[in-house]
Amino acid sequence: MKILIIEDEKELADNIGNYLSSESYICEFANTFSKAIDKVDMYHYDCILLDIMLPGGDGMKILEELKKQNKQEGVIIISAKDSLDDKVKGLQLGADDYLSKPFHLPELAARIYAVIRRKQFGNVNLIEQNELTIDLLAKTVKVNGTEVILTKKELELLLLFIGNKNKVISRSALAEHLSGDIADMLENHDFVYAHIKNLKKKLGDAGCGNYLKTIYGSGYKWEV
Amino acid sequence: MRKLLNKSIRPLLVYALLIITLSIPVYFYIINKIWVSELDEHHKVTKQKIEKQFNSLNQQEPQLSETIQLWNILQHGVRIKSVDQSLVKPDRFYTNKRFDEYHNDEEQFRGLESYITINNKPYQVIIETNMEEVDETVIAVASVALGFFLLLLIGFIVLNRQLSGRIWKPFYSTMKKLESFDLKGNSDIKLDKTNTLEFEQLNQVVTNLINSNVSSYRQQKEFTENASHELQTPLAIIKSKLDLLLQNPALTKEQAQAVDDINLALSRASRINKNLLLLAKIENQQFDANEWINIGEMVNHDIDMLSEHLLSKHLKLEKNIPPNISIQCNRNLFEILLSNLLINAIRHSPENGIIKIELNNKMIIFSNTGLNALNPESLFKRFMSASSETPGSGLGLAIVKQICHRFNWQISYSFIHGAHSFTIEF
Repeated sequence: MKILIIEDEKELADNIGNYLSSESYICEFANTFSKAIDKVDMYHYDCILLDIMLPGGDGMKILEELKKQNKQEGVIIISAKDSLDDKVKGLQLGADDYLSKPFHLPELAARIYAVIRRKQFGNVNLIEQNELTIDLLAKTVKVNGTEVILTKKELELLLLFIGNKNKVISRSALAEHLSGDIADMLENHDFVYAHIKNLKKKLGDAGCGNYLKTIYGSGYKWEV
Repeated sequence: MRKLLNKSIRPLLVYALLIITLSIPVYFYIINKIWVSELDEHHKVTKQKIEKQFNSLNQQEPQLSETIQLWNILQHGVRIKSVDQSLVKPDRFYTNKRFDEYHNDEEQFRGLESYITINNKPYQVIIETNMEEVDETVIAVASVALGFFLLLLIGFIVLNRQLSGRIWKPFYSTMKKLESFDLKGNSDIKLDKTNTLEFEQLNQVVTNLINSNVSSYRQQKEFTENASHELQTPLAIIKSKLDLLLQNPALTKEQAQAVDDINLALSRASRINKNLLLLAKIENQQFDANEWINIGEMVNHDIDMLSEHLLSKHLKLEKNIPPNISIQCNRNLFEILLSNLLINAIRHSPENGIIKIELNNKMIIFSNTGLNALNPESLFKRFMSASSETPGSGLGLAIVKQICHRFNWQISYSFIHGAHSFTIEF
C-alpha cells in the first residue's frame, strides 16, 4: 500500500511515516505544493494525506487536480485550521475524510485503513481475521459465524484496534476516538476502561482469541 | 432628562418675561408724559389763540359778554369767565377726575387754568381735555406687552423645534451610529460630515477613539487566532511523537505512565487552543444561523454520548425534554453550547449528584447538585475557573456566553436549594 504524505512540517511528516511504515504501508513525502502536484501527476497512491496549508499553494487545488485527472486515490485532509467550511469544501471536492491537528497517530491509521478498505472493497467490505469477521457496511461482528452484539462504542474501539494491529494505543487516543472533542474536556480517560473490559468479555465469551492486550497498565494492543 | 435646547430656552423665556414686565411701567410713564406735555402745550396755544381772537374781534360790552356766554355754551371744554384783577394768578396745570355726563362715567381730565386780558379786562380761562385714565393705559400697554411675549414664546418654541431638528441633526446621527456600533462587528464606523465646528470636532475625536479601539481589538483577535493556529502544529508533533514513543518495546511501566500523563495534559492544551480559536471565530461572526435545530434530539444525543460519564459518577439525570421544540441557529455552535453545559454539570457534580435538564419553548435550564454558590461576576469570564478541584480549560462557559451573545439569547446563573442552575432564554 502506497501512501503520499503531503505535509510541510518535516517532523510531523516523519512521525506519520515512521508509524505507518511499520505496517504494510510504503510512505512517500511531499513538503511543497509543486512537489505534491508532481507526485500526484506521476504516481498512483492508495491514500493521500493532505495538509491544505502548504507553502506555494492551496492544498485544495491538489484535490481539484485529482478530480480533474479522475484519480481514485483516497484523500484524508489533515489541517491545523479545524474549520467547518474547509471540511465541507474538502469533502465536496472529493476528500474522503478530514482530521484536524493535533491528532493521535492511531486515529490517523484507523482512518487510512477505513478509507483504503472503502476504496478497494466497496460493496463487500469484510474484514476477516482468523475466527473474527467484521462487516464494515452492516456494522456486524461475527466470531466463528455467530454474531456478537456490540455497542456502537465497542465496535468503534474494535475498528480502531483492527486499523492499528500490533501497535500500542494510549488511553488518550482511545478516549479521543470514542468521544471526539468531548474526551479532553472531561480530563479523565477512565471511561475507556469500561468499554475495553466489555469488548474483551464479549469477544472472549463468543470464543474469540485473546488478541487485546493491556500494555504497561495504561495502553492497549491488538496482537495478531 | 431634558433636551439641551429646552434647557437653554427656559432662562431665555424667563428673561424675556422679566424685561417685558419691566417695560410696562416704563412704557406707561413715557406715554403718559408725552401725552401730558403735548396736552399742556396744546392748551397753552389754545389759550393764546383765544386771547388773540377775542381781542381782534374788538367787541365792546355788553356784546362781549354775550359772545363769551355763547362761547361757554358752544365750546365745551373751554370756559371763559370775567374775574377781578385781584384774583389773577399765574398759569396752573392740573389733572383731575370727575363725573362726565357725556361719557356717563368717571373720567380723567388734564386742564389749564389761565388768565387772559380782553379789552384790558382780566378773564379766567379753563381749558380741559379728556385723557385716558391711568389704569386703562396700563391695561392697554400690558396687553400689548403680553401679546408680544406670546409671540416670542411661540417663536422660540417653533425655532427651537426647527433648530433641534436641523442644527442638532449631525449630533443625533452620530449618537445613533455610536449606539448601533458593535466593536465585535466587522464594520468600520462612518460619521456624517457636518459644517458645525463642534460636531465635526466631536466626530473626529470619536472616530479616532473608535478606530484605535477597533484596530487594537482586531490585533488582539488576530493574535489569538494566529497563535492558536501556530500552536496546532507543535502540539501535533508532540502528540505523534508520544504515539511513536509508546511503540518502543523497551519502555518501562513508569515511562508509559508518564506518556499517559503527558497525553492528558496535552489534551488539555489542545482543548484550550481549540477553544480560543473557536471564541475568535464566533467573535468574527464566522458562523451562520440558518438552520432549524431540534433541541430535544440534540440534547438526547449529547446525553447518550456522555452516558458513561454519568454512570461512572453515579449521577442521576432528571430530564423534561418535550420533542418538537426547534430553534434557528447554527448546528455546530448549538452542539458546543449543549455539550459544554452538560459536561460542566457532570464535572462539577459530586458523586451521586443529580443533574436536571428542563426544556420548553422559551428556555432551557441545566442544573446540578453543588455545595456553594459560584461568583456570577467571573463565572463567564475567560480562564476564571470557578473550581480549583476540577480544572477545565477555563473557557467552557466563556464559549457558552459568547454563543448566547451571538444569537441574542440571555444566559443567567443562579444557586437555589443546593443546585447550580444555568438558564438560557431564547
